[in-house]
Amino acid sequence: MAKKAKRAAPRRRKKKASARRWISGRFLAKVLAVGLVAMAAGLIYLDALVQERFDSHVWQLPARVYARPVELYPGRVLSRADMLKMLELMRYRQAPGAPTPGSYSVNGNRLIIHTRGFRDSDGGEPSQRLNLRLGGGEIASLQAGQGGSLARLEPMQIGSIHPGHSEDRVYVPLDRVPPLMVKMLLATEDQDFYEHHGVSLRGLARAMLANIKAGRLVQGGSTLTQQLVKNFWLTQDRTLLRKLVELPMAVLLELHYSKEQILEAYINEVYLGQDGSRSIHGMGLGAQFYFGRPLEELEPHQLATLVGLLKGPSWYDPRRRPERSLKRRNTVLQVARQQGALSEEELHRFSKRGLEVVPRGESPLYAFPAFIDLVRRQLARDYPPEVLGVDGLRIHSTLDVLAQLAAEKALRDHLENKDPGGKNHLNGAVVVVAPTQGDVLAVVSNRRSREHGFNRALDAVRPIGSLVKPAVVLAALEQPEKYSLATIVNDEPLSVPLRNNEPWQPKNFDNKSLGPMPIHDVLVRSRNQALARLGMEVGLSKVAETLKTLGVQRDIPLYPSILLGSLGLTPFEVAMMYQPLATGGFSTPLRSITDVLDKDGQPIARYPITTEEVLPQEPVFVLQQAMQDVVDQGTGRGVRAKLPASVKVAGKTGTSDNFRDAWFAGFSANHLAVVWVGRDDNSPAGVSGSSGAVPVWAQLMASLPQRSLSQKPPAGVEWVWMDPSGTLVSGEGCDGAHRYPMLPASIPEEADRCGSRDGDKKKGVLQWFKGWFD
Amino acid sequence: MLLAAMLAGCATTPTTGTGGDYGTSASSSSSRSSPPSGEPRQQPVDARADLQGSPALALLDRAEGARNQGNMSAAGRYLERALSMEPDSSWVYRQLARLRLEEGDAHSAEGLALRALRLAPYNPGYQAELWDLVATARERQGDKEGAREARERAQELRRGTA
Repeated sequence: MAKKAKRAAPRRRKKKASARRWISGRFLAKVLAVGLVAMAAGLIYLDALVQERFDSHVWQLPARVYARPVELYPGRVLSRADMLKMLELMRYRQAPGAPTPGSYSVNGNRLIIHTRGFRDSDGGEPSQRLNLRLGGGEIASLQAGQGGSLARLEPMQIGSIHPGHSEDRVYVPLDRVPPLMVKMLLATEDQDFYEHHGVSLRGLARAMLANIKAGRLVQGGSTLTQQLVKNFWLTQDRTLLRKLVELPMAVLLELHYSKEQILEAYINEVYLGQDGSRSIHGMGLGAQFYFGRPLEELEPHQLATLVGLLKGPSWYDPRRRPERSLKRRNTVLQVARQQGALSEEELHRFSKRGLEVVPRGESPLYAFPAFIDLVRRQLARDYPPEVLGVDGLRIHSTLDVLAQLAAEKALRDHLENKDPGGKNHLNGAVVVVAPTQGDVLAVVSNRRSREHGFNRALDAVRPIGSLVKPAVVLAALEQPEKYSLATIVNDEPLSVPLRNNEPWQPKNFDNKSLGPMPIHDVLVRSRNQALARLGMEVGLSKVAETLKTLGVQRDIPLYPSILLGSLGLTPFEVAMMYQPLATGGFSTPLRSITDVLDKDGQPIARYPITTEEVLPQEPVFVLQQAMQDVVDQGTGRGVRAKLPASVKVAGKTGTSDNFRDAWFAGFSANHLAVVWVGRDDNSPAGVSGSSGAVPVWAQLMASLPQRSLSQKPPAGVEWVWMDPSGTLVSGEGCDGAHRYPMLPASIPEEADRCGSRDGDKKKGVLQWFKGWFD
Repeated sequence: MLLAAMLAGCATTPTTGTGGDYGTSASSSSSRSSPPSGEPRQQPVDARADLQGSPALALLDRAEGARNQGNMSAAGRYLERALSMEPDSSWVYRQLARLRLEEGDAHSAEGLALRALRLAPYNPGYQAELWDLVATARERQGDKEGAREARERAQELRRGTA
């Protein structure tokens, strides 16, 4: 960074000391000339530096990323706890009658919310007062301004993306900075700001006096302009050398820019503390970091705390040094009183308030690095860096904060239970998607979700194991004249000869072979040998084709082992692959961004919903039914420990060789979630889909509002009782009969003896159906 | 008996109210395809019938207003919001499909119209109109054969032979 820059120039003057003996008039003149030239050159250099940095840096703002705005309307499922959690996260303050934007009041199930308002490509939302009543786990009624019953809370800022560097600002233009803050700032830091030209002799004299009194360096006497120079171009250490460069630079800055520009730059640039490796620069970000609110919403005592920090951000850190910070804050309040910025009553009242800082790490800002990473990649994929470099872009993302928090908690809780403290290096990833729109609602890539680093959700390519099985079954069901869920397959050992290799001889997890069973059970009980037989019969290329149709973009090698999931995919890619299964055959690209606006709220780009029919709905419905049974009776039944049976969901477990990877991928009508658990070094983790991933999925889904999958067959699918051989129609109550959803082409013409009792009637209906749909 | 079971399985479930992506817990998502009885009862289709009492109606109105002013991106945004409230609404998909077609994105329009068809209640006139939309979208993509097929489907529905 440029702060460390340019200390070399003045160093050459050191030689002067040893030159004293050689003093003569001519030499002195020469030295003077050289010195003047050097100084002029130095000034020109500094001048360029001042302008270059000021113009390019101050005004270059990062793109800000927002979560999806919270929609409020009667009938929306929303518990009181979740509503209050949202308000808390968005730092709405509780105040009787909700008098100002960003406040609310609550009385039992009734809330008054004074929203903040925002701009969006659809015009956005005005700041308004909402009357909201909750009841029965949903919004029972809502009255917004102008009699509407529809409103949105402003989208929560969740991060920022800077194309050049990782520094960040929450930029606040001067006209939105609270005037009281400006008064406090000038009163405590630079009383002559509007009179001086960058350097204040009066200020210096005052500082010198104070230093002499104290017997040490206690005041710098720096003007705001000098402090800005310091923040911009120089290191923080107080050396004479720095002072020598600082003075001309301050004067140059004042020459080129107005007082307002300098003040605005100062307010947005000043250093206010450290958040791990991230420096907190600017009052806007400081307000977020310490108080979790926009600067405009801070109260006088909070503004005073921020101004107090300028004297020493770590010395007066309100979190680590609360007493010191409080004392300093009250000094600022007193100075503000002396300058007439506060009344005596206000001084009294605000001096009594606590610091009211929020605990570190509680802000939603920067809390979701894995999701922000996805946004960054999708932007980089779609836009050249020039576009991203546009000042202060506003990026509206699809993140659902409640879904994200639920996903993080589910993964964390489960891994803490399985592997307390992370001693066994178990980690995981979760992706949550709204399948119909393809909106990515949540991405978790670490059990410690706030940590940056390896993005497992997007980059961990791991064998998907049995997650591939629905695709194999689907490839079969796409030939309804040959296969239905009732078709019998043999769960017996098989051996497939391979060129240049040992033959492929897959085993079941329990090392048993269960003999003939319907395809339905093969999937529900995740039988490897039966499925391998089915897959070999259907054909590897047909299976690969189905996988491609489902959205797998990687090369699929035509080895038999792909039938049992040797193919490696990332959790995100698995979500893509399961998305058409969740929507009945429509593929919708997964998006993390809906709109990109410029800093004035004008739309620059949109990511509209697109969708394409990639599979006929009938086989997908049939497959979905079997995948529901995976959850209700099969390897995924652990889900039911958390999710009531009335909520119809479908899914599939996956486990890779030697228990290295545990997967669960599944969906309701409105959420599709993929969970992966394993180790980064790919060593056996001792986890199976059922034990390692299902509990995470179940907890996550149970904490979100779910809509059940539709149980109504589409035209062209009917429920038929089949005899155990899978080749004859049977009837309810007949020996060994099972009911399956069937495509007309799969339904046998003949019935068994038991089922033929009402055979004629049945035939009539079948004919009727066939005539109807063909 | 089988007939009875089938009828029960197919019976048209009433439209669930609101809830959308944010869910109505445990309620079945309403798919409202063709009824099974001998004389199918035609369901009227328009925004009000499809989205009875839903707050999404207000968004459809706003979308229409934006579209009339030529503000397509705002119209799209309103419709997408409506969709996240009512993801099973054929009508919202229809509106989105028509908007995309007007915006010149025929590929998306086709997919959205097919999705509207998937969710369409039993109403041959409405379904025929959607097939026409599919046909137009295919024509604009240069898919003559596909367009012809879609037109045929529309005609069959209109003739009552589908």
